[in-house]
Amino acid sequence: MDKRYEERSIAQDSRLLLKKADRDGVETVWDRFEHQQPQCGYCEMGLSCRICVMGPCRIDPFGEGPQRGVCGADADIIVARNLGRMIAAGAAAHSDHGRDLVEVLAAVAEGKADGYGIRDADKLMSMATEYGVATDGRDALAVAGDLAAAMQADYGTRKSELTLVRRAPEKRREVWKKLGITPRGIDRETSEMMHRTHMGVDNGWQSLLLHALRNALSDGWGGSMIATEVSDILYGTPKPTPTSANMGVLEEDQVNIVVHGHNPVVSEMVMLACQSEDLIALAREKGAAGINLAGLCCTGNELLMRHGIPMAGNHLTTELVLATGAVEMMIVDYQCIMPSLGQTASCYHTRMISTSDKARFPGMEHREFHPDNARELARTIVREAVENYDLRGEVYLPVTPVAALGGFSVEAIVGALGGTPEPLLDAIKAGKIRGAAGVVGCNNPRIKHDYGHVTLTRRLIENDILVVDTGCAAVATAKAGFKVADAIKYAGPGLKEICGALKIPPVLHMGSCVDNVRILVLASALADALGTDISDLPMAGAAPEWYSEKAAAIGCYFVASGVYTVLGPMPPITGSMNVVKLLTEGLNDAVGAAFAVEPDPEKAAVLIRRHVEEKRKRLGLDAKEV
Amino acid sequence: MKTVVVHPERCVGCMQCMAACATAHSRSKSLFSAIHERPLPRPRVHVGAGLCNEGFPNRCRHCDPAPCRMACLPGAISRDPDTGTVLIDPDRCINCASCAMACPFGVIRYHADPLGPPEKVVAVKCDNCIDRQAEGRIPACVEICKSGALAFEEISVAMKRKTDQVARTVSSDVGAAPSSPGFELLKAVKKVEAELRASGR
Repeated sequence: MDKRYEERSIAQDSRLLLKKADRDGVETVWDRFEHQQPQCGYCEMGLSCRICVMGPCRIDPFGEGPQRGVCGADADIIVARNLGRMIAAGAAAHSDHGRDLVEVLAAVAEGKADGYGIRDADKLMSMATEYGVATDGRDALAVAGDLAAAMQADYGTRKSELTLVRRAPEKRREVWKKLGITPRGIDRETSEMMHRTHMGVDNGWQSLLLHALRNALSDGWGGSMIATEVSDILYGTPKPTPTSANMGVLEEDQVNIVVHGHNPVVSEMVMLACQSEDLIALAREKGAAGINLAGLCCTGNELLMRHGIPMAGNHLTTELVLATGAVEMMIVDYQCIMPSLGQTASCYHTRMISTSDKARFPGMEHREFHPDNARELARTIVREAVENYDLRGEVYLPVTPVAALGGFSVEAIVGALGGTPEPLLDAIKAGKIRGAAGVVGCNNPRIKHDYGHVTLTRRLIENDILVVDTGCAAVATAKAGFKVADAIKYAGPGLKEICGALKIPPVLHMGSCVDNVRILVLASALADALGTDISDLPMAGAAPEWYSEKAAAIGCYFVASGVYTVLGPMPPITGSMNVVKLLTEGLNDAVGAAFAVEPDPEKAAVLIRRHVEEKRKRLGLDAKEV
Repeated sequence: MKTVVVHPERCVGCMQCMAACATAHSRSKSLFSAIHERPLPRPRVHVGAGLCNEGFPNRCRHCDPAPCRMACLPGAISRDPDTGTVLIDPDRCINCASCAMACPFGVIRYHADPLGPPEKVVAVKCDNCIDRQAEGRIPACVEICKSGALAFEEISVAMKRKTDQVARTVSSDVGAAPSSPGFELLKAVKKVEAELRASGR
């Protein structure tokens, strides 16, 4: 294997397909990353400001050139404003995804969403109770309509506190209240962040960062949480489901359709269409053995969690999946869809379909999905995908898929534990499981693909730390074979014993990136059972290969919720050592948790183990020196 | 005599020198108009990526004796006596690439240039913004550089500063804080990232 491919990824399928892409003359994200070097240091440090047209401005980090923007903002203010806007964009993305699901729920209630329905009526009713919507003797659709309206109110400005904030432990809510960062409205906090960062508004770098935390909380305990819960109501709450992962899930003798993006609104209907008898019969007429649906990124995770749909890859492999030549059609919704994909697909027979009214891409056909046309449109485009099988050329599928178990919602984890979190707490108290870590986030060409996720996860389970993961991290560890019951062979003796007895893997797939809120709910349940705060738990978060604004928002709501979080890549903040110190140290005093940055996953594992042991010690449990 | 002095440790890799150089060598001298000129003006300073992807502004050193000048058979390359600048006469250039072969720094490019004869591909490189200097202005790359990676100063002053800097490293108060702890931190992180990518792990 060429060293160049080995330097880019640890995944065998990716290395082989990188070689094929090179041979086919297909440019990839890694090539473009190389062409961008060196990247602008002002921007990497957060020292460039494009907010107003007296600028753009930049601050000389060496202290000799300009030290203030035209408006007078210094490095601290510019870095804090830039970070604030980054978090606002991330929170907006997740929360708008949640809004789209609430609109489907409302359309279902009105009978205007053919194909959609209420799949988890229990969750509908329990959510309605949380929102104060009457349920007694009422029809599910009537409850759904009122619940959708109540959730829409969470997006606005009529409340002083988001409804689901009540799910957080009482001590945590007190922390937020004292700091004045209890989220009030989902859109309000994002809108206020844009206002505060306008020239001449909030020029206190500390108050800007505090609002950034509130903005992130409006995502974590608002928009994202609504997205997850409404997805469960509409498509079912995930249960442990066998699946498989890597590019080998594409089938040489079947019509392959890949869904890519984040929102299950489109992919669920595509899945239904792929299962319809007449379209399968058409595929057989074309000489294919059937229709094979596979996922990419988080819309893939949504289908994997609920239906065991196999996963072809994560963020950095989306172009490589097309280079297999085996994909008849890729259907995308939004977020993390590289604008290069249309061009990549033009080298093969793959048809590219964009589906969201808010997301267009060059080189893709736009077929807009709405709740009222989704079912029929899904059938139409799946038919077109089947017809495209005629044009298939050479196919390169050099790997066999790796088995995995997905579907660990909080309900499923508690179910596996026998209905209460007690057995997990007992295992932690006994020291068999030292603690838990959420390993989440994206891929980023700055970090060797999947190396951060897989190395960190391996080291944590080896040391008896239970790992829960989501998003692209979850796909990386599935490909590495950590998500089967047999993977306890990689775990330390205590974790091996507990997972072995429960017949669960040592790494639990909790879903897509909006599903990071499931980790918050689980942490709250553990804290409540111990009568303590989330920040007291032997628990940590990590985003070893993060790249996106959404990940920045997730990191902030983790930390603001009391979870120590280790980032791989450095955020654009080093232009202000004040901001760096606040985020990595100062926040401990404010919210009982802070960030660390460590690109080397071996060292990140040590940081997390040390943190877990320290928290154990403070809880009066046995603690090891790390 | 002032000259452009490069301080590579100060380069943040923003590439603004490249855009400013191309603009200074356009017909319009304005960035917004220059991008619509044909032929497109091109930069004569080139920012490269180091081992850890750190930036380095690579420009003509105006060597004396200049290997490019010695290699130029048509005699297109000369030295300006006032500024010491090595200049290429586009009318005499025959696009033979001998100068590029002789140049140890790889700073000579070949393309049609807005300031050269129409549609003739010629050798192009840094001219120290000799026209701007004649108007009493400093070279465009130095003017745009806000991090101090490119400076326009008396060589004797630069030498003295460097001598003092070296002298201070043997003084008793070594260990003084680096001038930009944030930039040192960013470089440390990027070094780890580069090492991890290149590692066999």
